[in-house]
Amino acid sequence: MLSARDIHRHFEGMHAVDGVSIEVMPGRITGLIGPNGAGKSTFMAVLAGTLPASSGSIVFQGEDITRMPAYQRARRGLVRTFQLPSEFGQLTVLENLLVAAPDNRGESLLGALLGKRYWMPDETRLVAQARGLLERFGLLPKESDYAGMLSGGQKRLVEIMRALMLRPRLLLLDEPMSGVHPSIVNEIAGYLEQLRDDGLTILMVEHELHIVDRLCDPVIVMAQGKVIGEGSMAALRRQPEIVEAYLVG
Amino acid sequence: MNTYYAANLLIFAGVDIIACLALNLQFGVSGVVNFSFIVFQAAGAYAAAVLSMPPDTAPDYSFQIYVGGYQLPFPLPWIGGAVVGALLALPIGLVVLRRLRADYQAIALLVTSIIANTVINNARPLLNGAAGLALVPQPLDGVVNTSTNSYQYLYIGLTAICVALVWFIAARIVNSPYGRTLRAMRENEVAASALGKNPTALKMTIFVVGGAIAGLSGAILVGFLQVWAPSTWLYPETIILFAAVIVGGRGNNVGAILGALLVPVGFEEVTRLLGRMNIGPPNLIPALEWVCIGLLILGFLWFRPRGVVPEQRRVFPGAPAVEEETRWVVGKGAR
Repeated sequence: MLSARDIHRHFEGMHAVDGVSIEVMPGRITGLIGPNGAGKSTFMAVLAGTLPASSGSIVFQGEDITRMPAYQRARRGLVRTFQLPSEFGQLTVLENLLVAAPDNRGESLLGALLGKRYWMPDETRLVAQARGLLERFGLLPKESDYAGMLSGGQKRLVEIMRALMLRPRLLLLDEPMSGVHPSIVNEIAGYLEQLRDDGLTILMVEHELHIVDRLCDPVIVMAQGKVIGEGSMAALRRQPEIVEAYLVG
Repeated sequence: MNTYYAANLLIFAGVDIIACLALNLQFGVSGVVNFSFIVFQAAGAYAAAVLSMPPDTAPDYSFQIYVGGYQLPFPLPWIGGAVVGALLALPIGLVVLRRLRADYQAIALLVTSIIANTVINNARPLLNGAAGLALVPQPLDGVVNTSTNSYQYLYIGLTAICVALVWFIAARIVNSPYGRTLRAMRENEVAASALGKNPTALKMTIFVVGGAIAGLSGAILVGFLQVWAPSTWLYPETIILFAAVIVGGRGNNVGAILGALLVPVGFEEVTRLLGRMNIGPPNLIPALEWVCIGLLILGFLWFRPRGVVPEQRRVFPGAPAVEEETRWVVGKGAR
């Protein structure tokens, strides 16, 4: 589904990503793990187009997207979430989801000026779709709350739901459990399993190894900007250099 | 209250409301810190002036030098002012909004304002330099008698029509999915981009729309004042409009109107009244006005950052009850 070849990303001489190549297979949750500073989030940003690659190539569903801006990648189904909460704080939860929805005729200047008779049918359909997601993720009672007022876990769910409104083909999740109360972590993991079972492909950076154990196969290990191992968690635990680099404990 | 004073007050209020609605679309809704806003108003004013004036070779106009001089009938100069405001937004927007980070955009736009004023001030063959343009014909001059009280009322009416038109456009934008996307971009541009939104295109469209509205406000103003010079559009004028939007309530059209009435109109009136009292040296009151505007911006950003009338929460029909009293029901208006 996605193939990244020899990706480099430099910051004024520092090699944050140093020749990383990966393949993401459809219908699976691929884990991306590694110690802090390994370059995982930078690599995710390069895949999503938030940061341009210094060199290398990215092919998504047969199309070279290496030079494509982030918004065009998202429209093709390559959608990311962020390491830090990135909700639209002064928009309500429902509005956060509606922003992400494509195919709303009121999203252009002309559509807006033509008035709500022109765009309300799309809006009504998308509100119903968004409420369906909110119900599935248990946040329907919060639809009119400002997203900025939610808890850390709820913000994560809003981000995931927002991404799902785009009907993604590949979801890039950057530490979805970061800053989330432990009681919510298993809940989010359950939702991710459901999404995988529905056929969604996910590439996920995560530090919570029990979650990686539960959800991810295969798992890619990065350290110092390079890939140092790939396989199932069980197989990785048998490799001493990886255990030493990251899996100690 | 004489007619001219009332007309002066109401037309300035109308122009300030139009300008604040435009700035609110750019800054309040979209997060584009357009510190060059006054340049677009000035461009509209100059455009309307040279479109309505005769050539500078005409007998009464030979004391000034300017390009154009097309003597177009009303409302073409006002339309021309709006078009020039929009056209000017294209090159400035393409240079400033495409690659720069938001804070650098603000600095670049401030510098643009200073450069534009300096160029027009010194390039006399273009628009008569520092002396500016004078004897700008009023709308419908030659068709109706412009020196009567009735004409003042007519001008107020024309301004009111423009205010209503701009309000209509601003309301449609703010309350639409397009406005929602602009607000999302204001909240987090990178996240909006990751959701398939093109931030450059969004900023450009609202920059052009705001430029057109600013140009219209300048055209209305120059038709009333009949003079226009670089000293009337120095960059601090933009700060006054920012103060109005911040005080009124960012992202809210009602707040923008309230801010226009409280800050530019209110301060102008207070300054005028205090000026009559002969308090202190001659420049004391205008200087204090700037101090007050600065304190007002700081005070509101510190104690009430969302302004007197905060941006309203959008609640959709069928949603669970919300505790806040003021909310916006999509498709049904405020309640």
